[in-house]
Amino acid sequence: MTSASSTSRPPVWRDVRVLSWAFQLVVFALIALVVMWLVSNYRTNAADIGIPTNFDFLDNPANFSIPGSDFNQSQPVRDAFVIGILNTMRVAALGIVLATVLGVLVGIGRLSRNWVVRRLATVYVEVVRNLPLLVILVFVFLGVVLQVLPRIENPWTPGDVTVFSNRGIGVPWFAGNTGTVLILLGLAAAAGWWGVARWRRSVADRTGHPAHAGTYGALMFTATVVVGWIVLGYEVSTPAVAGRQIVGGMRLQPSYFALLIALVVYTASHIAEIVRGSIQAVPIGQGEAASALALGASQRMWFVVLPQAMRIAIPPLGNQYLNLIKNSSLGAGFAYFELTQIAQITQANGSPAIPAFSLALGFYVVLSLVTSAVVNVANRHFELVVR
Amino acid sequence: MKRLTLLLALVLAVAACTSGDDDETTTTAGDAAPTTAADGGTQAPAGSLLAEVQDRGTLRCGTRSDLPGFAVLDDAGEHVGFDSDFCRAIAAAVLGDAAAAEHVDLETADRFTALQSGQVDVLVRNTTWTATRDGSEGATFLQPNFYDGQGMMVAADSGFASTEDMDGVAVCVAKGTTTEGNAAAEASRLGLDWEVLPFDSTDLIQQAFAAGQCDGWSSDMSQLTALRSVYPDGADALVILPEVFSKEPLAPAVRDGDTAWAQVVDWVILATIQAEEFGITQANVDEMRDTTTDLNIQRFLGVEFTTDDGTTVLEPGLGLPTDFAYQVVKQVGNYGEIFERHLTPLGLERGVNSLWQDGGLLYPPPYR
Repeated sequence: MTSASSTSRPPVWRDVRVLSWAFQLVVFALIALVVMWLVSNYRTNAADIGIPTNFDFLDNPANFSIPGSDFNQSQPVRDAFVIGILNTMRVAALGIVLATVLGVLVGIGRLSRNWVVRRLATVYVEVVRNLPLLVILVFVFLGVVLQVLPRIENPWTPGDVTVFSNRGIGVPWFAGNTGTVLILLGLAAAAGWWGVARWRRSVADRTGHPAHAGTYGALMFTATVVVGWIVLGYEVSTPAVAGRQIVGGMRLQPSYFALLIALVVYTASHIAEIVRGSIQAVPIGQGEAASALALGASQRMWFVVLPQAMRIAIPPLGNQYLNLIKNSSLGAGFAYFELTQIAQITQANGSPAIPAFSLALGFYVVLSLVTSAVVNVANRHFELVVR
Repeated sequence: MKRLTLLLALVLAVAACTSGDDDETTTTAGDAAPTTAADGGTQAPAGSLLAEVQDRGTLRCGTRSDLPGFAVLDDAGEHVGFDSDFCRAIAAAVLGDAAAAEHVDLETADRFTALQSGQVDVLVRNTTWTATRDGSEGATFLQPNFYDGQGMMVAADSGFASTEDMDGVAVCVAKGTTTEGNAAAEASRLGLDWEVLPFDSTDLIQQAFAAGQCDGWSSDMSQLTALRSVYPDGADALVILPEVFSKEPLAPAVRDGDTAWAQVVDWVILATIQAEEFGITQANVDEMRDTTTDLNIQRFLGVEFTTDDGTTVLEPGLGLPTDFAYQVVKQVGNYGEIFERHLTPLGLERGVNSLWQDGGLLYPPPYR
């Protein structure tokens, strides 16, 4: 009786397990060698012509001022980078929120039964999606912000509480304590909303009466904010024009405004297509079942179709958010001091180019990773769990 | 899948090997002494940019095309201007032909990167010579070809008569220039509140200024004069305020670490100034060369002159042909002619850019 012996191993050079590890190691070593060679080549050449290759430039005085902030030109470059990062996050955060809102509305509008709404939404999406963002930004800045907004000598001041001019847009803002305290107040109010909503829902479970969790929560939120506002001594400061400046309130620079509008308009057109596609991907039976249960059109959309559509839409939406964050770097051409602008100016003032820009790149990578992590959390929350 | 990994590994190996070949050899060997060649001129030291330019046959000159008077494009697409002529002068000296200069347009923010990476051989782009640029930008600055200062331009109907009147204003500047830092420093020195807005290009600044987004436009006085002359609403719509608030010596620059090349470019600029001092012009250079008996001019133009041992030609050992000064003046002109050709029509006075005998700052070292 013979037994097939299958326990002897093949020779090393034919053993699949060894070979696969070996190839991976070789490829990794090659890539590492190429990267090391690039870095050392850069270092040698830079040393030959006397350019520093370390990060000491962060301690040098900046030699430029940043409009819209108290940054002094003798402050170190690292402070300028911090301001650039904050400016990027400001335009990215507000841009993502506004683009989502506009994009969802336009996406639903494309499926509307109203012919005018449908046509308008289609034209908007089809035109804007096919334009490069830089072109839109140039148009918004040069055509809209510079020409349509009035000059500072005769600004438009609706209601005397806002100021519109091509030097900036002034909106009423809080004055008193710092912004951090206000954010904490906002968080406390949000926690109050959540707590009251939970309580109302448990009451509804027990007694069967309608919960009205939203209404109670909103009331709690407003009450907390108002009480906190009065107790902490906040005031409202309104903007006014003094000479050629806007004093008081919060002043939005025209470049910030232009960048925000361009980013929102552009990204919303892409988000609209994503939302439309995901709504159409929800099985049509869902909508029909909702109608059979006597739900109105907006109830059908809000309670049945959209939640299922969001599940499909979230990964591509995350992609659009990352694009928006990276596209914010175009503000560098229009005097908006976001991160790319700061890196360019410090490099033109004598900081070594590769360390300065690798710092900017590193930050964009970190911000993008954080955003995609948040989107993944939302994705996991919405996705269908297969048991 | 295994085959794919093997293929990828091979491709990477090949890429890593071949990309080692276009590594630019920056030179520390450029400091070696030049050797004498048979025709009387010296050869450039091996490894110097001078030898590379002579081998290549063209000079890559970093410049711009949007500043009237200094460097603009004419109808035929040729670069015309003060800085463009100095590019041509260097080409005429090193290569014998002014048309061998290749004008490479650069943005303000990229000009030093282009010089550091070897994309251009010399930067003649109205760039200010500062200590930080000498030390940290890998650039060596040479004889300034224009001594300038920074000023402020405002609309004629704005009512400003001096920079001290301007409080709480916005000032437009070009990004990545000494202008930004100087404007901020001047504001804090005067105790005023200026919002300094940097833009990428001059036409963007012009649009923003015309739309009223900034009250003042700050730049070098020569740039302001040039830009005012082409302002769409007419030069009278703008007024340049009298204050000059910084020194801006505009000088050509070369890469660090190449002494031979730096000396060559330096002496070409100095030769144009020396030619004006001797009274040699484009019109009379042939006559001067053939008939002069002035020993200094003979040495300068590379003419044979008699010494105790017979006749000889001055060969200072710079690596240039002995008649480089003749070629420069013949093909381009002397400093005064270049100035009058491009900058006088804009209304710029010689001022400090005159010869030392006339009270200016131009004092070329003796060519001997």
